Amino acid sequence: MTTFRQRIRTAAVALLTVSALTACGGAGGGSANGTIEYWLWDSAQQPGYQKCADAFEKANPGLRIHISQYGWDAYWSKLTAGFIADTAPDVFTDHLAKFAQYVDLKVLRPLDDLGPTSDIKDGDYQQGLAQLWKGQDGKRYGAPKDWDTIAIFYDGAALKKAGVDPAQLQNLNWNPQDGGTFEKLVAHLTIDAKGVHGDEPGFDKKNVKTHGLASEGSGGGGWGQTQWSAFTGSAGWQATDKNPWGTRFNLDRPELQDTLSWYFGLVQKGYMPSYEEIGGANAIGTDKQIQSGTAAMGLSGSWMISTFSKLTDAGGKKLDIGIAPTPIGPTGKRASMFNGLADSVTTLSKQPESAAKWVKYLSGAECQNIIGQSGVVFPARPAGTDLAIAYNKNERKLDVTPFTQQVEQKTTFLFPVTTNAADIAALMAPRMDAVYIGSSPTTSLTKLNGQLNELFKVAQ
Amino acid sequence: MATTTSIGPVKAGPARKGPRDDTRLALLFILPALIGFGVFMVWPTLRGIYLSFTKFNLLTPPEFNGLDNYIRMVNDPVFWNALKVTLYYVVLNIGFQTVLALVIAVMMQRLTQRTWLRGIVLTPFLVSNVVAAMVFLWILDYQLGIGNTILAAVGIDRIPFLSSDAWVIPTIAFINVWRHVGYTALLIFAGLQTIPESVYEAGRIDGASEVRMFRSITVPLLRPILSLVLIITVVGSFQVFDTVAIATKGGPVDSSRVLQFYIYDVAFGRFQFGYASAMSVALLAVLVIVTFIQYRLTRAETSDLA
Amino acid sequence: MTTDTTPTVATAAPVAVRRDSTPTEPHQLNFGRVLAWTFMILVILVSLFPFYWMLRTALSSNNALYAGSKSLLPVQTSWGGFERVFGLQTGQEAIDAGGAGQAINFWRYLFNSVVVATLITAGQVFFSAMAAYAFARLQWKHRERVFAFFLAGLMIPAIFTLLPNFVLIKQLGLVDTLLGIALPTMFMTPFAVFFLRQFFLGISREVEEAALMDGASKVRVFFRLILPMSVAPITTLAILTYIAAWNEYFWALMVSYTDKSRVLTVALGVFKSQTPQTGPDWSGLMAATLVAALPMLLLFMLFAKRIVNSIGFSGIK
Repeated sequence: MTTFRQRIRTAAVALLTVSALTACGGAGGGSANGTIEYWLWDSAQQPGYQKCADAFEKANPGLRIHISQYGWDAYWSKLTAGFIADTAPDVFTDHLAKFAQYVDLKVLRPLDDLGPTSDIKDGDYQQGLAQLWKGQDGKRYGAPKDWDTIAIFYDGAALKKAGVDPAQLQNLNWNPQDGGTFEKLVAHLTIDAKGVHGDEPGFDKKNVKTHGLASEGSGGGGWGQTQWSAFTGSAGWQATDKNPWGTRFNLDRPELQDTLSWYFGLVQKGYMPSYEEIGGANAIGTDKQIQSGTAAMGLSGSWMISTFSKLTDAGGKKLDIGIAPTPIGPTGKRASMFNGLADSVTTLSKQPESAAKWVKYLSGAECQNIIGQSGVVFPARPAGTDLAIAYNKNERKLDVTPFTQQVEQKTTFLFPVTTNAADIAALMAPRMDAVYIGSSPTTSLTKLNGQLNELFKVAQ
Repeated sequence: MATTTSIGPVKAGPARKGPRDDTRLALLFILPALIGFGVFMVWPTLRGIYLSFTKFNLLTPPEFNGLDNYIRMVNDPVFWNALKVTLYYVVLNIGFQTVLALVIAVMMQRLTQRTWLRGIVLTPFLVSNVVAAMVFLWILDYQLGIGNTILAAVGIDRIPFLSSDAWVIPTIAFINVWRHVGYTALLIFAGLQTIPESVYEAGRIDGASEVRMFRSITVPLLRPILSLVLIITVVGSFQVFDTVAIATKGGPVDSSRVLQFYIYDVAFGRFQFGYASAMSVALLAVLVIVTFIQYRLTRAETSDLA
Repeated sequence: MTTDTTPTVATAAPVAVRRDSTPTEPHQLNFGRVLAWTFMILVILVSLFPFYWMLRTALSSNNALYAGSKSLLPVQTSWGGFERVFGLQTGQEAIDAGGAGQAINFWRYLFNSVVVATLITAGQVFFSAMAAYAFARLQWKHRERVFAFFLAGLMIPAIFTLLPNFVLIKQLGLVDTLLGIALPTMFMTPFAVFFLRQFFLGISREVEEAALMDGASKVRVFFRLILPMSVAPITTLAILTYIAAWNEYFWALMVSYTDKSRVLTVALGVFKSQTPQTGPDWSGLMAATLVAALPMLLLFMLFAKRIVNSIGFSGIK
């Protein structure tokens, strides 16, 4: 009996050692013949990076870049499988919500140890971006490629119909007690089935045709990035005691719980669509809610600018989309989460030096300027950012300063980077959903906070 | 009746004592299947069982940790909830699907034998689970889906099909019934075809009504095929995954977090493969027990018929 | 309440001769029949409506779908979705239309899908039939025990086998090959063995024994007698297997890396959401779905008649 079990165990261990060995030994992974495998998930960004790849190949004869794109969900499962079976790419686009886990699993190569990327300087990028990609060991695991902030997108036609001057949106404020001028505007933009506005007597909150504010779900999976982070941020709340690599969570704080009570309270008032209305786990985005006329405005990220700029009505006519900054909160300041993507080199890469060369190029001025001119995202370097601003102004007639002013005025806060990110999301998402649905009070987050803190103990 | 016994296949093979022993030939015949079975099913399962006693993050070698994963499982409310949700789903899915498939199969047999009808009923099976889930996600969207638009036009309140805890499991069950009912009906139909018309003729001469013939001829004679179909569909139903992954991701809160989805999330999202393996072992155990009971029940009943 | 439909139903009864399906007697209109037909029409409507909706969405302009969600007809009718499937739009055009802007090598993917589904179907059905025959008709020790073991395989959760199989395929050097996608299901599935065994058990022993008496070997009996007599269930199984193989997504996604081994379902994934925040290219996705399902539809239409006929003829006596 023992022999049988031992045999299984030996065999299993042998099987695993093979993959572990290849993983450590740096054999396998990507392709050998000078082709660097590069993965990304956002198809809208692929043409821009293809241009970068073409330029890179010209400058580096003998090296070729092969770009693969997989949709968000497929991307991460394929990457995981790739790490296990040694089929991962040389370089891939990394996300802060996943990055810590990969550092823990030791599948990312420190860029400081590779020649081409050893001299990446934090100061070359928008402030704070580069630090996000350093592990607890102080080593750099990702080279910044772009950044994003949050702002309000609004439907110009809806504002006009409600008699609101768009200029008004540039100076909104909010507070957790009465919601301030922000809630007043949201109420006014809300219209029920009979055409009564949300701030008028006789408003039927059960039959709302257009909500003043769109909703992108409970935000449990990504720290409320496009949901409530702009409010909790301007209420002075931080998710962890320090960031990155916090050791304690702050979900028990009144700044968070009061803000969320107010924010999700907008649902009860009929000003914001409910969990059920937006389709639960597959929340249709703010863009679609504005396009279909179920919302007049909403918070969304700068990576959505090109999507918003292309929205049309049923007749094919372009919508008049405008952008406004997030409202000023109890701290007297605005706030926006500051997040970004980076490129990481995997430990499975057979040609880490060449891979690093490509990463260096991706994070360098030349490629970031190409990306800036494509107008899809804000490149991590200030010069590239300026090009993206100019592109939006000239090509789309869109003023994107509500996104950039947060960076200039230093009103941003960083995406919370912690260990156990996947466990945190798995615990948090259902509990935040319950708060959004209204089946649990915001005080239930205190218990969740305890569970999240427990995770640190288990991990250490 | 002679036919009855000859189609009583669930009986563990007629134990007619042949003088010959075909062991060598039989070995040859099952060899390819045995290789595939051993390499791609048995071995991974044994390995999974082993891993359920380890802490394993997929990338570094597993560490033996005894019963830790099983202890955690017993104390994990999400696991028990997942088990409950899965059972609820299976009952709804199988109940609805079997009854509907049986009725459709009988209609295909007795009402009209036209091929196009069979073709139409099987059409949903031509698309994958993933696609079926996406199409219904689109059709059943609370605000923009045509389903709710039609309901609203008729004056019924919109239904949050995939976003309320009361509706989500019935909706997922419906989506999967939509895709599989034709397939199930076709299997049952194939079984119906084995019932000779003469039995019905006899019934008709005795003046039996259609409903009565269904009850006293079709159902009993169909029992072997039906039990096969049930075993297959129940086992498949327990493994519901694609639809949940696409349409609800387990929500709202945990109300559609079925077992296989939770396992997947723990394994590939959270890299806790040891714990995921332990839950897979539990799922395997549940399936074995359910199938064993089913097999026993149907077997006992067939012998009554002979 | 139970209506008596006795006299007329006989018309629709399954007798091989009546395959021409022209009713010889006029159907008597009565309550039961009306009810039955109403039910069937409802079933047909529910079965087909989603397909209409796919078509309607595929023919709509993606950017206008949300604004025109209430229209039963295509919104801003356009072939854009189909053009994206066949790679007829340039990358930028596709992105502007809310698509992925990826080059789609449609014919290559179609070819790959056909190869994979054919490999799986041919291998699985043939090997399973052999095993099923051994379980149904050959006399050998431990037969029932081994069969029960096979049957137990039915219960192994798919999640269990995913990862080890992937590692194995990698070690065999079959990642990114069509064989790698096909291999795990090419030898058998417990269902196929179970299904065919049930049918083989139903075949009359007398015929078989007569053949054996004439001196035919069991191998010959299997190939010349059992297989031809089981054309109907084998065709049915083959079609179901083919459809399942054609629609396999997750495993194919894991194994396939480049166009070399990319099958249609995986290529179709390109139309799904690209970032967590953007919705799918619905019109492209629905067009792709329809195009991917078309070969199955054709195959089914081609064979459906055959299944019916062969069932009518060979009908297990």
